[in-house]
Amino acid sequence: MKKNANDTDIQIAICGSAGDGTIAAGDILKRAMSLQGYKVIAFDLYPAEIRGFGKCISRIRISSGQTYSLKPQSDALVSLNDPHAIPHVVEVRDYGAVIYEDTPMARIPEGGHISAHVRPAQIPYGLGIRHISEQATGSARSRNIVVLGYMAGLLGMTRDVFHQTIGEKFKTKAPAVAEQNLKAFDAGYDLATRVFRLDTIEIKPPRHTKSGADAVMMTGNGAVVRGFLDAGIDNYFGYPITPATSIMERLTVEMPKTGGRVLQTEDEISAIAATIGAGYTGARTATATSGPGLALMAEMVGLGVMAEVPSVIVVSQRGGPSTGLPTKTEQSDLNMAVFGGAGDAQRIVLAPTNVEGCYKCAGKAFEIAEKFQTPVIVLLDLYLSNRYETVIPPKRNPFLRKPEKKIAVRNGNGAYKRFAATADHVSPRSVPGEPGLMHTVTGLEHNEMGRPSDLPEVHLAMSHKRHKKLKGALNLRGLTLCKRFGDEGEVDVGILGWGSTFGEILEAMYAAQSEGIRCSAMKVVMLSPLPIEQIAAFHDDCGEVLVPELNYEGQFAGLVSGELGRPVTRLSQVTGAPMRVEEILNEVRRLSGKQSPARKTKQQDTGDERALEAGLS
Amino acid sequence: MNEHLKPVYLEEKLDEIRADGHQDYRSKAIPTWCPGCGYYSMTEGFTMALNRLGIEPENTVVVSGIGCASRFPFFVNTYGFHTLHGRTLPVATGIKQANDALTVVAVGGDGDAFAIGAGHIPHAARRNVDITYLVFDNGIYGLTKGQASPTSAVGFKTPTTPYDNCDQPLNPLMMLLSYRASWVGQAYAGRPHHLADMIAEAMAHRGFSYLHILSPCVTFDKTDMTYANLDVGVRDLPGDHDRTDLLAAMAQVEAKEAPALGVFFEEGRPTLGDAMIETIRRAGGQAA
Amino acid sequence: MPTPRHHVIIGSGSAGFGAATTLRARDPDCRISLVTLSSLPFYNRYDLPDIFRGRHDWRDLLPIMPAMYDELGITLRRNSRVVDVNGTAQSVEFAHRETLHYDSLLVCAGGRGYLPEILSDYRPLMHNFASFEAAMEVHTALPKGGTVIMLGGDMLGLDLAFTLLDTGYKVALVTTPQTFWPHRVDDQLRGKLVAALEAKGARVHGDSAPVAVEEGLPGAPARRVILQDGTEISGDVVMPFCGLVPAVEFMLSAGVDIERGLLVRPDLRTTGENIWAAGDVCQIWSDSDKEYRFYHGWRNVREMGELAARNMTGSDEEFVAEDDGRIWLDKGSNICSTFWEH
Ligand SMILES: Cc1cc2nc3c(=O)[nH]c(=O)nc-3n(C[C@H](O)[C@H](O)[C@H](O)COP(=O)(O)OP(=O)(O)OC[C@H]3O[C@@H](n4cnc5c(N)ncnc54)[C@H](O)[C@@H]3O)c2cc1C
Ligand SMILES: Cc1ncc(C[n+]2csc(CCOP(=O)(O)OP(=O)(O)O)c2C)c(N)n1
Ligand SMILES: [Mg+2]
Repeated sequence: MKKNANDTDIQIAICGSAGDGTIAAGDILKRAMSLQGYKVIAFDLYPAEIRGFGKCISRIRISSGQTYSLKPQSDALVSLNDPHAIPHVVEVRDYGAVIYEDTPMARIPEGGHISAHVRPAQIPYGLGIRHISEQATGSARSRNIVVLGYMAGLLGMTRDVFHQTIGEKFKTKAPAVAEQNLKAFDAGYDLATRVFRLDTIEIKPPRHTKSGADAVMMTGNGAVVRGFLDAGIDNYFGYPITPATSIMERLTVEMPKTGGRVLQTEDEISAIAATIGAGYTGARTATATSGPGLALMAEMVGLGVMAEVPSVIVVSQRGGPSTGLPTKTEQSDLNMAVFGGAGDAQRIVLAPTNVEGCYKCAGKAFEIAEKFQTPVIVLLDLYLSNRYETVIPPKRNPFLRKPEKKIAVRNGNGAYKRFAATADHVSPRSVPGEPGLMHTVTGLEHNEMGRPSDLPEVHLAMSHKRHKKLKGALNLRGLTLCKRFGDEGEVDVGILGWGSTFGEILEAMYAAQSEGIRCSAMKVVMLSPLPIEQIAAFHDDCGEVLVPELNYEGQFAGLVSGELGRPVTRLSQVTGAPMRVEEILNEVRRLSGKQSPARKTKQQDTGDERALEAGLS
Repeated sequence: MNEHLKPVYLEEKLDEIRADGHQDYRSKAIPTWCPGCGYYSMTEGFTMALNRLGIEPENTVVVSGIGCASRFPFFVNTYGFHTLHGRTLPVATGIKQANDALTVVAVGGDGDAFAIGAGHIPHAARRNVDITYLVFDNGIYGLTKGQASPTSAVGFKTPTTPYDNCDQPLNPLMMLLSYRASWVGQAYAGRPHHLADMIAEAMAHRGFSYLHILSPCVTFDKTDMTYANLDVGVRDLPGDHDRTDLLAAMAQVEAKEAPALGVFFEEGRPTLGDAMIETIRRAGGQAA
Repeated sequence: MPTPRHHVIIGSGSAGFGAATTLRARDPDCRISLVTLSSLPFYNRYDLPDIFRGRHDWRDLLPIMPAMYDELGITLRRNSRVVDVNGTAQSVEFAHRETLHYDSLLVCAGGRGYLPEILSDYRPLMHNFASFEAAMEVHTALPKGGTVIMLGGDMLGLDLAFTLLDTGYKVALVTTPQTFWPHRVDDQLRGKLVAALEAKGARVHGDSAPVAVEEGLPGAPARRVILQDGTEISGDVVMPFCGLVPAVEFMLSAGVDIERGLLVRPDLRTTGENIWAAGDVCQIWSDSDKEYRFYHGWRNVREMGELAARNMTGSDEEFVAEDDGRIWLDKGSNICSTFWEH
């Protein structure tokens, strides 16, 4: 973020085992902080295993100014489970705090206690978490809340807003539950106020206290849901798959309240098939999946393109190929989203870069799909799907609730041509129920009437139509398709990015600027069709263009340099984790000639080797 | 007098047909099927059924997969969706869920239904999606020129079974009964009037109705499911068959060598649409 | 490769810290665990009075930067209380229920402020000066120009007392037999030293023993100390400075001899196998005095730690006190002590 003297910018990591309430504690923290008007970005990781002892970690960045990603280092780490938390101790900055249980219930093996791993420059804060929970509530269940209270007290956070948040969090449970947890919180908080603070973690008042009341914490998936609802989604079809499932789960709760219908289908093929079927009737319909599901949907996406039926497909990427790394993040489905399937099947692909973008892209996707009569893929990844950010919902619904350009009226008494040639290549569409406009759509190549035809001139004309009409999407209003940040005019290094990684890119760009490197960054939201003119102009301004992304071969870099016919520098990483700001910054330094000494020898690396190196680091 | 011996005058017949109205449900496209194909009976039966039930063509969507059978929508004058091989039912489900007021008919071949699309059938059946599924069974892959299908008989010779088909054929009706489809019947292209009645009855059923239609492929099958064989093979369901008795229905479909024509099973139960409305009610919403 | 020797040092005060760095210097491969109750790496406790001169950042007190521990390969285990030592199994047991094995153990647990029985009930109303955190609390509790009531007034306390007087605070000193600990002073010298203290501005109450500590009355400073003769002294902070008692409770079942401190030979070996001791915690056999003696004072403590480390790594040296502890008045009637000479 852009630094300001009076800014708060702290990051808390809470780590425990499934069942410890790690995520719940993190939830309360982020809600409490966002209620006060802080900006919050958070990302939770939980295990692939459902039961047992998998690791949960919640990282929460709280700031008064705008930030764009998590920080590589946290200011405090709270351990609810030492074996899981120990590897994360190194993520705590010097003089940051490590908070943990100092009287565990069971014996622990030599070296198994976190106190042996706290770095000399970090400050250990041990407390009898379990004991305090039992004393305050009669059970050890509220350990997470005790330690949350302790952390809040230690950092001097306001108590009341936590009380409010805890009350809300447990309002669906028996009243005693909220009460117990308030006691647990206070017990931890009170203890902390008696402890001398050794560290330098500063909480200052938020910049905009007023917005706190309006601000809500949302994940990318939550924002997709909100966007869908605000755009008036009628139908949803889905098949569970991490990290997209929570979209369906929430829609299933929300949609029926306004008469919407959700169906869990038997597989992804059915999900997209039903989505397209419903889209054919004129209903606003969506599905959401991840890479493996999109692979199954490929043929149907092609049908949607060919039959010119609107549909919205949210794809939240995870590690691949195949079943891959279901609970790790990656950006390796770009090629499939843009190109996947048989034939020349151009479609519209939007990749939001932050939670607010998820809201806008999801809601707008319906309008776009209807306007261009085609599938629209909204491409997220696990990191964006699951990360929380504070967003201020728009005062007025920004989406058109009804299709903009409906639909055909029969011209005179000529036969209705579903696929008639028009100036903008979008043909008047009719939907079942409209008399006199009956027609059949098909995945076969067809003439203007929609009748199957394999004549060369028909195939050429129709290919042209399908391709051309999408170019109109480059003139869309009301949605940022691409945007440049940072220095204007000519710069040493330009960072070109897409999707969730763009947060880290912005942080790296601001850091590079503060080191005196002329630097700017461009995010590309519309990946297909590509706003190539703006990208080319950006490329013109940049001495070097760096493309950081979370896939092995640099899929976006390939896409861009292919269309531009000019080289870019790839920075690829496949660790399953978001890209580190420092990693990007190092490349920027290197490309600008202001490299840090340690990296000098690596200048000759090929892109591939660098990818490998980053992947293994 | 024997129906076949009565003289037919073309003008008269055409007038009769026009007056009847079912030809309004035909499109102007000329079918791509081979002369003599059983599928012509389906078009005829379907248009007659729509006419009889008084369903408006603009409120009807015919959804099909890929195959000769699946060309069907092009030849009827309703809304149509010619989808992908095997994906008829999920598309039809989506259409029906989005607009309950539409009459939705799914059409496909035996390969479309029981090979590539077999996984969708139990789900349409268990959800009781209020659509009619017409499967045209010619025991062969017609469109791709005569390969074996899941309903081809053992010993059947085709380009992909040059040394005879070894795979035991499926019993589609048994499958549908075991999925507890709420209406299960069988018809034969060689009995067009009965076929039309059956289509009409299937469409009148509220819920998922499955009509299996035996239909010879005159081009690629000269030995097996021919008109000659089927004319003598088919039988009527016994007059006392109880169509509410699932086990009795199963007993009837078990005898495959003598296919019975008629309605095996029927029951009334909530449809997918009913379930959706109930869900909306429980969530406190207002159904559209 | 043989597994490197694991040296566990309980206590990261002057003795323990000095031992750790010496061990590393003499054996680059050994494993060193430095255990402490503190949340902080080693800092010089006698710098703590500087807090009243504005040194509030604990990082300023560190003789080495934290990163150095990594460089030296010393595993620092802070916030870690040893509750038991098993000399047979060669392991120490932590309050957090972890067992740590050692090949050799050096106990440098120092001492804890001694509190006369009669005052022990009033501990919650008193402040101590045993750590940075405690010292900062005193600083916070003490208003500008406020009064510290010092009970006892050992050399640690007097060090603080002079700083307080120097920085505009007031000191009320209630003398006890532990005043001027660890020096042994006769009545004559005692009188002179007390007079010197008064001359520096301390109010000395020498006639009666403290018997109670109470909260201050409304509107008055936060604390009252009541003396045996009924005198009430009012002040903001009450601090006992009555000398140290060695911290040995966790050694009771270790199989080593204990009198008041851990008894060690002149080479700093305890009677337990592979167990050494150094610093305020140990009593060293003195051949000349024919008794086990404490040798307090920074220079002694430091030397003990280093000596123990040398002996643990193959040397065979005996402890010779650098300082036998003298206290006197100089020409300007300033109190001087070898204890304070750094
Ligand atoms: C305010 C003040 C001023 C002083 N001024 C002077 C001075 O001017 N000159 C001078 O010579 N001396 C002075 N001293 C005393 C001097 O600091 C001590 O003599 C010296 O620190 C003793 O060192 P040590 O290493 O033996 O023990 P300590 O420094 O007391 O260290 C003991 C260590 O053992 C650890 N420990 C204790 N029990 C356990 C346990 N159960 N488990 C784990 N760890 C344990 C403690 O956490 C600590 O790290 C002063 C002390 C104070 C408090
Ligand atoms: C995914 C896919 N695989 C294969 C095909 C080729 N294909 C088209 S129709 C067909 C079989 C059709 O058989 P059936 O469903 O019985 O219909 P019929 O032509 O016999 O009416 C096949 C294999 C296809 N269109 N799509
Ligand atoms: Mg067939």
